[in-house]
Amino acid sequence: MEILIETFRSLLANKTRTLLSMLGIIIGVTAMIAVVAIGQGSTSNITQRVSSLGSNVMIVSAGFSGGSGGRAVTTLSEILSLRDVDSFMEYCPDIDKASPVLQRSYTVQYDTNSYNAQITSGNENLYQILGLRISSGRFFNNEDELQFSKNVIIGYEVANRLFERKNPLGETIMISYRIGRSRLALPVTVVGVLEKTGSKLMYNVDRMVLMPFSSAEARLFHTNGRVDAILITTKSAEGSTRAKAQIQHLMYNKLQDSRRFSITSQDEILGTLNEVTAILNLFLGAIAGISLLVGGIGIMNIMLVSVTERTREIGIKKAIGATRRRILLEFMIESVFITGIAGLIGVVGGIGVSEIVRFVGKTYNLTPVVSFESILIAFGFAFLIGMFFGIYPASKASKLSPVESLRNE
Amino acid sequence: MNATVFEFKDIWKVYEMGEVKVNALRGFTLAIEKGEYLIVMGPSGSGKTTFLQMMGCLDRPTQGEIFIDGTPTSELSDDALAGIRNKKIGFIFQSFNLLPKLNALENCSLPLVYSGVKRKSRMERATRLLTQVGLDDRMNHRPAQLSGGQQQRVAIARALASDPSVVLADEPTGNLDSKSSVEILRILRELHQSGKTIVVVTHAPDVAEEGDRIVYLKDGSIERVEKRSPRPRREEGGYDGNPY
Repeated sequence: MEILIETFRSLLANKTRTLLSMLGIIIGVTAMIAVVAIGQGSTSNITQRVSSLGSNVMIVSAGFSGGSGGRAVTTLSEILSLRDVDSFMEYCPDIDKASPVLQRSYTVQYDTNSYNAQITSGNENLYQILGLRISSGRFFNNEDELQFSKNVIIGYEVANRLFERKNPLGETIMISYRIGRSRLALPVTVVGVLEKTGSKLMYNVDRMVLMPFSSAEARLFHTNGRVDAILITTKSAEGSTRAKAQIQHLMYNKLQDSRRFSITSQDEILGTLNEVTAILNLFLGAIAGISLLVGGIGIMNIMLVSVTERTREIGIKKAIGATRRRILLEFMIESVFITGIAGLIGVVGGIGVSEIVRFVGKTYNLTPVVSFESILIAFGFAFLIGMFFGIYPASKASKLSPVESLRNE
Repeated sequence: MNATVFEFKDIWKVYEMGEVKVNALRGFTLAIEKGEYLIVMGPSGSGKTTFLQMMGCLDRPTQGEIFIDGTPTSELSDDALAGIRNKKIGFIFQSFNLLPKLNALENCSLPLVYSGVKRKSRMERATRLLTQVGLDDRMNHRPAQLSGGQQQRVAIARALASDPSVVLADEPTGNLDSKSSVEILRILRELHQSGKTIVVVTHAPDVAEEGDRIVYLKDGSIERVEKRSPRPRREEGGYDGNPY
């Protein structure tokens, strides 16, 4: 107790220096807590979006599941076709709904506004599988599909960017595309606007421009019956394993190569996502940890300077009976004290930064989650660092010979 | 015959300064008795300070043995030596060596912190000692706010904090004006009269006058020892003014 008061006083006597040596730890702890909070916030955000589809969704895609490497999408899309959708429906009793998916990125224009949208096509099941909802206007009907209509339904963000506050219904927008070297524009009419949805699986609904499949394929994609992916829902959650086996069988029969397609269920996507975000969080946390380490080295530096500066003081204390252990303790407590206080300030700072991010990030649905564990880990780590980097200067101080340190002026 | 407190047996101390070896003490042998007022004199470089450091357990001899109350110190650990410095020996330095950040009271009670005395009794004892040396109105002053004589009196109070049987002083009046010197010498004399063993290293002849025995050092060994007749008893407080 006595030592604590003395330490506190000696730290107060060197306010600027104490503060400067604290800075590294403060920043480190703040960064660590804030990074982990933001990371966990975005993870739970993504997880929420993905799992909002329900657990019985699967994606069949031309793929690299076997690890044959990333081949160009255009070649891969030769693997899946509209016929596969029909054969799935026919031969896989566990499948409830299936829809082909074609998606390409195009620039759309209205007046002077332009936006890089995802032109997306599927059959009527796609809207149900992705759980899309219209906020104004209508969905496509059979007529649209049969007549290759130039009607589109636009996502929330597309509507916002192109029309700002204007009502998009009935307006004509231009889709820019090119054939060979010539740039062309396809005029299409907006018949519906989607509700603000965010991301579903790997699709960002708000950036979509939906087009009837027949029309998009003939006018823009020219894919000739080939599709990027097939989205599937199964009749029950238990049926998904069976459905997966059934699809696997069909696709293997067709391709004779299990590496050329992949079937991914939502759980797998979630698993991958969690893995990726966990790695990312770990990585960011490690960087914050390194900054803590650097802060610790800063403290060691300051403590070493302090030992040199206080050589005489140490000599006097030893001459009047301070033991080695006592001197060691005094210096150790000092560095642990510095890191402890700096750690506490860092914890407050980390929570503060997270709150600021929560406030600023409202529009992006980013809600940082400050967990008790992250506070404990960051603070504990800082504390350990203070101890570790305090050992060397403290032992150096305790080993000073009283005679020589008294000679020091 | 009084008991021997310190006994130096054939002490050698060699300092290695780079290539050069310096023999600070060469076969130094001396016994100091309880209640003695010993003066150590000699030119600079004669080993006075080294002797005092050995005696104060601040350093260990290169060769030879020092006995404190019959115990050989070479067998003691550093922490045990720290304990002896703390309880048995009081130090008074030429440059006072007070801690600048602490006030007089805290400086004075610091040795008691190390021996684990409770705060309350520590403060009581420090207050009493500072009053004894005439600093009752300077308790909360820091060393920088005190004169040299006052600082040295704080240092003496600190040296007495754990009631040591031996007081070692290294040129205690070296940095002081004559008036303060007289004051310090008076305090030392009183301590001696109260039964403490006093050892003073000095250049000054008027300080040497105080002792029962004067040891003259030269080149790290004893040149001669001068035994003085016990000082005529003075009236209590009879020596309080100008000695000249």
